[in-house]
Amino acid sequence: MDARKYIRDWFNDFRDTATHEFRQIFSDSGVLLIFFVAGLVYPLLYNVVYRNGVLEDTPVAVVDMADCQQSRRFAREVDATRECRVAYRCTSMEEARKLMEDREVNGIILFPSDFGKKLMNMETATVSVYCDMSSFLYYKNALMGVNHVMLSEMGQIQVERYSAAGYTAQEASQLIKAVPYGENNPYNPAFAYNIFLLAAVLLIIVQQTMFYGMTLLSGTMREERRNYALGLDHGTMINGRGALRTVFGRGAAYWAIYLGIAFYITLIVPALFGMPQRGSFWDIVLLDLFFVTDCVFFCMSWSSLIRRRETVFVIFLFISPICVFLTGTSWPTTAFPAFWRWFSYLFPSTFGVKAYVNMNTAGGDLSTASSLFTCMTLQTIIYFVIASVATYIESIVLKKMDE
Amino acid sequence: MGRWHEITAVARRELRIMRQRPVYFIGSVCVIAFCAIFCLTFFRDGLPEDLPIAVVDNDNSSLSRNFARQLDATQLGKVVKYDTFAQARHDMQSGKVTSIIVIPEGMYRDVQSQRQPQIEYYLNGLYFVGGALAYKDILTMLNLTNGAVQREVLRMKGVNEEQIMGLIQPIQVDTHQIGNVYTNYGYYLTNILLPGFLEMVIIIVLIYSLGMELKYRTSRHLMQVSGGSIRSALLGKLAVFTVLFSAIGLILIVLLYHWMHFPIAGSIWNMFLAIVLMVLASEAVAIFIIGCLPVPRLALSIGALYSVLGFSLAGFTLPVETMPAYIQGLSVAFPLRHYYLFYCHEVIFGSGFAAWWPEVVHLLVFLFLPLSVLKRLKGAYINQNFPIE
Repeated sequence: MDARKYIRDWFNDFRDTATHEFRQIFSDSGVLLIFFVAGLVYPLLYNVVYRNGVLEDTPVAVVDMADCQQSRRFAREVDATRECRVAYRCTSMEEARKLMEDREVNGIILFPSDFGKKLMNMETATVSVYCDMSSFLYYKNALMGVNHVMLSEMGQIQVERYSAAGYTAQEASQLIKAVPYGENNPYNPAFAYNIFLLAAVLLIIVQQTMFYGMTLLSGTMREERRNYALGLDHGTMINGRGALRTVFGRGAAYWAIYLGIAFYITLIVPALFGMPQRGSFWDIVLLDLFFVTDCVFFCMSWSSLIRRRETVFVIFLFISPICVFLTGTSWPTTAFPAFWRWFSYLFPSTFGVKAYVNMNTAGGDLSTASSLFTCMTLQTIIYFVIASVATYIESIVLKKMDE
Repeated sequence: MGRWHEITAVARRELRIMRQRPVYFIGSVCVIAFCAIFCLTFFRDGLPEDLPIAVVDNDNSSLSRNFARQLDATQLGKVVKYDTFAQARHDMQSGKVTSIIVIPEGMYRDVQSQRQPQIEYYLNGLYFVGGALAYKDILTMLNLTNGAVQREVLRMKGVNEEQIMGLIQPIQVDTHQIGNVYTNYGYYLTNILLPGFLEMVIIIVLIYSLGMELKYRTSRHLMQVSGGSIRSALLGKLAVFTVLFSAIGLILIVLLYHWMHFPIAGSIWNMFLAIVLMVLASEAVAIFIIGCLPVPRLALSIGALYSVLGFSLAGFTLPVETMPAYIQGLSVAFPLRHYYLFYCHEVIFGSGFAAWWPEVVHLLVFLFLPLSVLKRLKGAYINQNFPIE
């Protein structure tokens, strides 16, 4: 066969496959729901849900057995912190405990009866904090609020004690803050939950909605025993020869749609909600190109396991929340057990999310994501081979079954 | 034929379907088993150890080296040394290190002459747990260092140890973590993640089962077996699924609070009640979704969106009270939310029936949901007049 005809056929088949896939996508309400409702609305919904990413003014109860000037001041200062608000003053621990069990407060601060006396005697006084561990953010707030006040109160008391011991104010402050420190938390100053989580969730939405949608369609085709490589109505493809053009043709349809969705999710959604966008525009575009390509072949490979249309949800829905943990943005990658680290390499999101976080939210340049880009490229190649082989085998099997 | 016969006939038919289609077994038992293994092994350590913390030591004195060694020796931290801040910052932006500490040039000399050299630290709050814990570790070390310098000076001046303690640390905070003494992330997350996965499985599998009757046009056969009664048809199917899901739920509770010894202040028997109620409520939601929308693929997609959102709206990570008011209201529509509140009362505080009975009522209210769609579902099953595609 002459090479020109081969190339022409190849491109015709490629174009036909892509067009046909487009038509499939837009005539299937289930896929449209996933691509355009889930893909477009879910990012907005998550932004609304996590809009105020910082838990403020956690209610705490104060049990002041000391009832001295210092304890009252301490409680007032705690009330003034961003983290805590003194919602109740109780006369006994039982009362405070009851409030905590009724979830009226999420923490208890107890000043023991010797609090004032110990401070007068220049000994170490203790203040006890009881934290509700049902959410770690309650715990963090109660602990941080009390610790901030403790540190500032301590500074003042130390000045008094040093001057009582005969030090000048200058000497005292030099001693108390022998090594002062400055805090810088440039990317997420208040440890806001939304800034960290949304950056991770956005790309997972891209990956997962593409996976569910594509699998719905390929499940339908399998139910109807159709396969591009067997030939379309007017196509020229014949058994087994069409695997590559099928993979490229189908892939092109999803690639085009999802580039749009990915641009929307990674560039427009953060702008809509005033989320940090510190990266360069073109870096993010480049990331979208790599990530979407990777996702197309990832989805095509895994969807070859699904034989019937709706089973994808039954079997694979649980993987979406797990993907969030596998990105390593919450539980640190260094603490992953080895098995799960390898398992995480199965998903494009493991690399894509980190690249997005590093470049978009931390404002790093391409070099902060270079190794992640390498991993995504490798992943793309491997999944492309798997998808092609799977398509080839499927066409052979279907051909046999037809005969 | 009596109601009882109809129900058992449907249940027998359902068991036959489950034997023929492995997807039911894979989608319920295998998925939950996988999730349980994931949660129990992934967070195995409870708290991460050896978080990489970058130290840029511009001083390189005995004091600064000692500081780095001490930080390295903490359970949470592991020191990675860098020559320049630029390199360290690059690696923090790449997520390779959680934080950076910059020790100023001449720190030792300045401490000696009480010139108060300032240490700067930088945190990456985008890698959340790692960043927050590194922060805690660094603050502790810096305060200890300050204490150590003071102690050194006061000792030289001949102040006795008791007075030194009073001068260095006039106030100390002692913390009691109620419900999770070891601040174990594994306990914290797994307690709600696993029931959350169960809720997801129930909603999806049940919608799938009810939807497939429509898709494969077997619903008329189902109605025949049930003697034309939609109630018998649903009760028969639910009998099988309730046994299956409740068994999985009860095993999860035994797994968590008995075999894995997760801390529980109250009684494991009450948690059995909670999980069974959550199973029933989730089944009711599934019937409601497919009843409102008797188109299998749409119902499944809606069920998937709903159950993924359930994790966020349970409020066990970011508390619901931070969310906008209308979202707080929405959270009530998720069985997992009520399970979480039940869990807070029973597992964290052990405050018993008096505290959690409202959640029981809320979960029972879900059971009325299916009643509103019975007629519609019956119509769809008999007339098969909704599109399959």
